[in-house]
Amino acid sequence: MENLDFARLQMAFTLGFHIIFACIGMVMPFFMIVSHKKWLNTRDPIYLKLTKAWQKGVAIFFVTGAVSGTALSFELGLLWPGFMEHAGPIIGMPFSLEGAAFFVEALALGFYLYGWDKLPEKFHWFTGVIIGISGVASGILVVSANSWMNAPSGFDYNNGVFSNIDPVKAMLNPAWFTEALHMTLAAFVATSFAVAGVHALQIFRKKQIELHTKAFKIAILFGAVAAILQPISGDLSAKDVAERQPVKLAALEAHYETEKGAPLYIGGIVDEEKKEVSYKIEIPKALSFLAFGDFDAEVKGLNDFPEDELPPVAVVHYAFQIMVGIGTLLMLAGLLYFISLKKKSLLENRKFWLFFIFLAPLGFVALEAGWVVTEVGRQPWIIHGIMKTKDAVTPMPGMKYSFYMYVLLYVVLGITVTWLMNRQIKALNSSKDS
Amino acid sequence: MLYVVLFFTLFSLFLYVLLGGADFGAGIVELFSSSENKKITRDTAYRVMGPVWEVNHIWLIILIVIMWIAFPVYFNVIVIYMHVPITLVLLGITMRGVAFIFRHYDAVVDKSQHLYNWMFRISSFITPVFIGMTFGALIGGKIIRTQDYENFGFYELFMAPWLNTFSLLVGLFYAALCAFLAATLLIGETEGNDRKMYSRKSAYATIVLVVIGFILLVYGYYNEMVFITDFIHNPVSIIAVSFSGILLIPLWKSIRNQSSVWSRWLAGLQVVLILFAAIYAHFPHIIIMAGEELSLLENIAPPSVITNLGIMLLIGGSVILPGLFNLMRSFNMIKIFNKNAN
Repeated sequence: MENLDFARLQMAFTLGFHIIFACIGMVMPFFMIVSHKKWLNTRDPIYLKLTKAWQKGVAIFFVTGAVSGTALSFELGLLWPGFMEHAGPIIGMPFSLEGAAFFVEALALGFYLYGWDKLPEKFHWFTGVIIGISGVASGILVVSANSWMNAPSGFDYNNGVFSNIDPVKAMLNPAWFTEALHMTLAAFVATSFAVAGVHALQIFRKKQIELHTKAFKIAILFGAVAAILQPISGDLSAKDVAERQPVKLAALEAHYETEKGAPLYIGGIVDEEKKEVSYKIEIPKALSFLAFGDFDAEVKGLNDFPEDELPPVAVVHYAFQIMVGIGTLLMLAGLLYFISLKKKSLLENRKFWLFFIFLAPLGFVALEAGWVVTEVGRQPWIIHGIMKTKDAVTPMPGMKYSFYMYVLLYVVLGITVTWLMNRQIKALNSSKDS
Repeated sequence: MLYVVLFFTLFSLFLYVLLGGADFGAGIVELFSSSENKKITRDTAYRVMGPVWEVNHIWLIILIVIMWIAFPVYFNVIVIYMHVPITLVLLGITMRGVAFIFRHYDAVVDKSQHLYNWMFRISSFITPVFIGMTFGALIGGKIIRTQDYENFGFYELFMAPWLNTFSLLVGLFYAALCAFLAATLLIGETEGNDRKMYSRKSAYATIVLVVIGFILLVYGYYNEMVFITDFIHNPVSIIAVSFSGILLIPLWKSIRNQSSVWSRWLAGLQVVLILFAAIYAHFPHIIIMAGEELSLLENIAPPSVITNLGIMLLIGGSVILPGLFNLMRSFNMIKIFNKNAN
């Protein structure tokens, strides 16, 4: 492997890690403020206990997300100096706003964590709301910078020179809304199912059932609603990709031949040498309809794009299958939860809880897969149609060692944070209700 | 608008050096304390800085974001040639952040605290040393800017500029500066014997700082380093540093009197003066390479970007600064604004 491959792996690895922490840090405050509100309304001490337990989670994930985010803000430059030199000024606006939103979030977190019994109750709760809002705003802004890489706009490009830069137009690029919506919903789905799964496990093990049931209900409500809305957002994203990045659409569907009334492939094994997909399930004309809203629309196949502008097809196709498959499963799980509200006997069924324990990590698997689709699917471009990834990478050799070091660091970090969370839950279970 | 952007660049730099520095310094003071005092420092520093802990380090992110938006060519040189030390800084920041959260938020207090504490102290010391070394390399005149990477060795291009005596001295100088800031800050947060201890530590840190600073100047002068010789020949810088030196007298008095308000203002002012002197001597040529100097104001982003960034910073600043001020005041953190502090 070359320097470029290691740089890409390192970026993928650190982003993949950061995304998990950023999403949890962004969504968990919402659970926390709902529980907090319930405590203020009902004065049921269980809600207070839950709020404080979640608040610790928020703090831990916020700081881990903040340090991995600091590392990332440098890494953008360290790994891709060629990209940042030209793109930095153009996509600066979402980043500077994100910096401000992140700052507001850190301030609000300071007020919230240290404000118990010091600040007026309602104001204290409100600082929690600000944590949530500014967290989501940060997420949307960062995604908008990413969507610019897919839909570069707000500048003129002639002979390698970027001119006429319009930062506002770059931020509000054509892809920003669909991508930001899809990612925000994904963050809610992934975090909610993960948190709900953790509490489901405690219920399954018959520990502090009342507390964990309350926790489960708050978390899963967000997840179920988001999971049911996600396919609509996915459809918007697909249509957007079909229009602006047809090669990405062809790759995620592993579609080699250009055809009218193109079928949708589900699963299948991609052979990039022979350019064919075997063992797939075909749904006639479905791809044309999903991509363009017309059963007979023409979908351009990979064979009709220049050879050196094709992304790695197999990886993108598999990742897309994983994302859509899990998304569908989680949507059904969301519906199941709403059924359980009517049919209370489901909550007595241990298989119900087992199912949600099984689902816990899947939202994040889908979320990571989705990022693989959008990032690997954009290759070989770092800025779609403008700059290739190989022209952006650092000239410094030896990225191999840097990559190994980050893997080691983040694996250790991941294990310790998991271990720490486990200790939090144990402490929560062993403490007496007071 | 360029001036707004420059203001916020320097503002974030100063605040990161001061607030982030005091934060690193708390770990350094802890590292160089007896085991009993380690615990006192740990608890006091957490009480004082806990609520603004995250905020202190966001200044660095703001600084970096401004740099890459407004001064892309300048940023480009830093991230290419300072790749290794910056990676080490990031490693330190990550270890420190994680250790901090572990030692203060772990649900169970047991032997693992020992590990978290050492991780925190050591990374608190190493991180500012590497930050200083990076800065030292930028002004050290050893960076070779080239497009022809084949003809140079890895060591020559990516290690030698920062792995040298001068950079190490700058690194140690910044670490001492951090320790000095933290010790001086903690004077006002404690009573009785603890207060005496921090007064003593603040005095030690001042001595170390002055000694390293002196060695740095002498070393740079005899090795004819452009930055140091220009620094010595620049009247404004010399006045700023001398003034900072003169301020040592009232600072020592206020430390002896254990006056938290004055010592804080004076310590902060001294650090700002030193930083100002260092930057002013060469402004805007803040990167000094072998045979070439790079101006911050050269190849800046186009006016539309600068204007946009300036507006964003003004809006962001008007939301953030009052919030930060209130946060600090709510938790009685900045007693310097409180007349009854003493």
